[in-house]
Amino acid sequence: MEHLPETYYLDPETLQRLGDLELIARELVEGLRVGSHRSPLKGFSTEFAHHRQYTPGDPIRDIDWRVFGRTERYYTKLYEAETNFDCHLLIDASASMTYASGKVSKLEYAKFLAAGLAYIVLKQRDSVGLSVFDSEVRAYLPPRSTMGILLQIDRLLRETKSVPRTTLAKQLHDIAVMVKRRSFVIVISDLLTGVDDVLGGLDHLRHDGHNVLVLHTLDPYEIQFPFDGLWRFDGLEQEEPVTTQPDRIREDYLGRFEEHCEALKAGCIASHIDYALVDTSRPLDAFLSEFFHERQETMNGGSAGAARP
Amino acid sequence: MSFLNPWLLLAGLGIALPILAHLLNRQKVKRTDWAAMQFLNRNVRVRSRQIRLRDLLLLILRCVALLLLVLALSRPAWTGDASWLPGERRAGVVIAIDSSFSMGEAGAGTSRFDEALKRVEVIRGEMHPGDPVTLVMLGDQHRVILRNMAYDEERFEQALQELDAGPGALELGSAPKFLADLVTDMEAPQKEVYLITDGQATDWKQPSAQLRKALADLGTQAQVFVVPVPGEAANLAVTGLELVQGVLRKGTTARYQATVRNCGPAAASNIEVQCRVDGVEIDRKNIPLIAVGASETVSLFVPFHNPGATGITAEITGDGLAADNVRRTVAVVRDRVSVLCVDGSTGDAGRVVTAALLARADGVQGEDYVVRAVPWLSLPAENLEEVDVIIFADVPEITEEQAAQLERFVRKGSGLVWFGGDNVKPAAWNKLAASGANPLLPGEIGSRVDTSDALGAGKPLDPEMPDHTVCLPLLSLPEDLFSETRILRQFEVSPRASAFPILQLAGSGLPVLLEQSLGRGQVFMFTTTADTAWNNMALTPVFPMVMQQIVTYLSGREFERPRIVGDSLTLTYVEQPDASDAVFDTPSGETITVPVREVGGQFVALLEEAPEAGYYTARVSVQAAGLPIAVNVDPRESEVACLPEAELRANLEGLGLDVVTGDAELAAAIGTTRTGRSAWRVFMMAGLAFLVIEALFANRLLTRARRRKDQPVNPVPQEA
Repeated sequence: MEHLPETYYLDPETLQRLGDLELIARELVEGLRVGSHRSPLKGFSTEFAHHRQYTPGDPIRDIDWRVFGRTERYYTKLYEAETNFDCHLLIDASASMTYASGKVSKLEYAKFLAAGLAYIVLKQRDSVGLSVFDSEVRAYLPPRSTMGILLQIDRLLRETKSVPRTTLAKQLHDIAVMVKRRSFVIVISDLLTGVDDVLGGLDHLRHDGHNVLVLHTLDPYEIQFPFDGLWRFDGLEQEEPVTTQPDRIREDYLGRFEEHCEALKAGCIASHIDYALVDTSRPLDAFLSEFFHERQETMNGGSAGAARP
Repeated sequence: MSFLNPWLLLAGLGIALPILAHLLNRQKVKRTDWAAMQFLNRNVRVRSRQIRLRDLLLLILRCVALLLLVLALSRPAWTGDASWLPGERRAGVVIAIDSSFSMGEAGAGTSRFDEALKRVEVIRGEMHPGDPVTLVMLGDQHRVILRNMAYDEERFEQALQELDAGPGALELGSAPKFLADLVTDMEAPQKEVYLITDGQATDWKQPSAQLRKALADLGTQAQVFVVPVPGEAANLAVTGLELVQGVLRKGTTARYQATVRNCGPAAASNIEVQCRVDGVEIDRKNIPLIAVGASETVSLFVPFHNPGATGITAEITGDGLAADNVRRTVAVVRDRVSVLCVDGSTGDAGRVVTAALLARADGVQGEDYVVRAVPWLSLPAENLEEVDVIIFADVPEITEEQAAQLERFVRKGSGLVWFGGDNVKPAAWNKLAASGANPLLPGEIGSRVDTSDALGAGKPLDPEMPDHTVCLPLLSLPEDLFSETRILRQFEVSPRASAFPILQLAGSGLPVLLEQSLGRGQVFMFTTTADTAWNNMALTPVFPMVMQQIVTYLSGREFERPRIVGDSLTLTYVEQPDASDAVFDTPSGETITVPVREVGGQFVALLEEAPEAGYYTARVSVQAAGLPIAVNVDPRESEVACLPEAELRANLEGLGLDVVTGDAELAAAIGTTRTGRSAWRVFMMAGLAFLVIEALFANRLLTRARRRKDQPVNPVPQEA
């Protein structure tokens, strides 16, 4: 990392620990270069796919002469092409993401998370882009595979400020329209909005053939609701304040929270979307290491996560 | 509504504590920005309102419980006929039973005191366990048997069984104030005083304005019931037993006079009066008839065969009230009586005194009754140990050594009589015998005063204390004979505080005869001469009568004079005793130890009250020989006639007192007037109930909260 100029969200020590991680697309992605990811395009690579009857114009070298010897018909061997992918990092910069029970808000954590993921993607020579949205798409960096994109991402993250309200579903739809190629889309958001709306936006991305990973980023206080005494909760997105004794409504809160998360999870499973809950109290590298290892295992085993189309 | 412990209402301010805690808790609202507002949705908001409502309910429960408990501890009470008011009809009761000996009258078979106990049973029937009750025995000294005790049937019954009519008189004047103090001590929704008395006419017939006011004051503090338990009026009483003639010497016979009074409404006849000496009957007399309200006397001749203390009793039989059927006195019989007259006059004072003392029917000088006169200069040669009474007649002065010797002489129980005269040097006497803390003479000698009028006639005598033994025989003299005694000249004497005049000069009030106690003896001081230089006493019957009475009085002993029940008994010591305690044995056999104290330079042991009638025995120590003391009942109480009920009601009208007679009327009166209700139990139960409800409610909430806390906090899967 010595070649990188000074960045804010790319901590050398963290990146050092992330160096061995590899983000693999679960499904087919479209790339321009030969890479480590399976491409939907059949081409001339090393992975045999199937035979196709020769048609005029096909390269003569692709004819499988052994099949011709047995059948006296011309068949051409088709191979699955391995390609690189475009990774779009979508960061929710709504006001709700600014909540922090400790020193780091969800938005700040999301920025670090995005930077770390961008580094991982670039390190495996894939392209990475960044979209920041709130009530609208505030900034968009198209995917690049050069390390220079990291500086642009870092700058963009530093410039990103929160806005009071967000319409996450609408932004997901907008981004689905903007991204033409089938890509790897990583949504980093607290998803504190209607489950149906969120799933609608995510489904749109899935419908366009994108690999979607949802990193549900939440503060530990939102997960545990550990308040005691009398508290007044002022909504970050201009909701009416609530004064209550949290220890007495904790049961209700956790019930509703669990219901919300279960609905998101179920929706993601149904739509073959990867889902992970991110606790901002956990160290970033620890989370990413654990997440990537688990993801690798599920991909190898094929028993968890979204099913292939 | 009133409160028995109103100051405890201040604890009601404690209600501010939960409110304050609630308010303070409310003020400590912590604020935070919050993103996941969607989980604090309407239901949660409603729940918050429910929580606030629950907190408010808890607060109200706590406040109400606290308030009810404070009210209960403040002992709320109210009076009124409204039956809807909560609480039980309760009252604090003061039962005062007249325990004077007239209550022992049992002419109708049952004594008045037993009748009083029956009334107590009726009152008890309306009492509840725990009610404050005070039981008082009214007498010459009022006694509190139970004071403000929570009523316990068994304990009260036990106390009642130990009661009986006492030997004293009823001191009614102090009773209302005494009862009022007891009422004040009592805490009850309604206070009731039951004054159970025989309603003796002597006490209740004409209540003084002071007594009426005290009763009215008592009536303002409590519901007062006067419960008369009348009895029969017939009563004979031995009201007196006095020595009227004779010297208490071995081998002589003294004449005592017993007085029997008919206090009843009918004449009494054939009354036998027995005289006993140390329990042995030695004389019996019959009184044929005593008219209504009259007293008759009989002479009882008591021979003294042995020296020492002798108990003499006059007793009648067959009377319904036993306490006053007997009268006791004590005679301390001497082997001999020796009188020494020290004559310092230039005339014949010594001879006059000697003649006066021997001028009695059996008063011829003999071995057992010696009267001698010596010149004053011979005094140092005399052995005072063998003398019972010394008479100084116009002695100019004495030496300091003689003054000390005379003081010891008197202190050990002998008598001294002092006469003035022209030779007396007042300054010398005042210096040695009339100064200091405990002077020998009763007064300081002043200048000579000429009390004769223009015609040269002196002023007559006037008995200042007609009941004094010395004055008693003078009252029997004809008026003209008594008034012939004239005092022409005398010393002006300033009496000491401890001295009291017995005879004084008519018109001027100048004391003629003073008496003072010193140790166990007495000193008499005449401010005039023994001879006829300054008066004509020696020429009249007054002088020998007075002198003989004085010698009899002085040669008597400390406890010869009988006491009345309730009097204090004092044992005086000549010198500081070896034993620190004196002992008094009561007639019932009880031994009371009394510490010896130094009072005014004298050592005395004081038994504050003689609680019963009979012969007491006083001993200077446990091993010492005893001196008998006769204690009699107060003859005033023998008038046992009761005031008729109508008259009693009339006398107490307007004082706020109820006069109730009979068991039924008493029970009805209690039922009618007892309207006080005590509601502390109701408030206490309600307060505790609220406290329990609050505790259960709070515990339920706490359990829920704990259960919520114990639940896992992160049920969300990490990855799908």
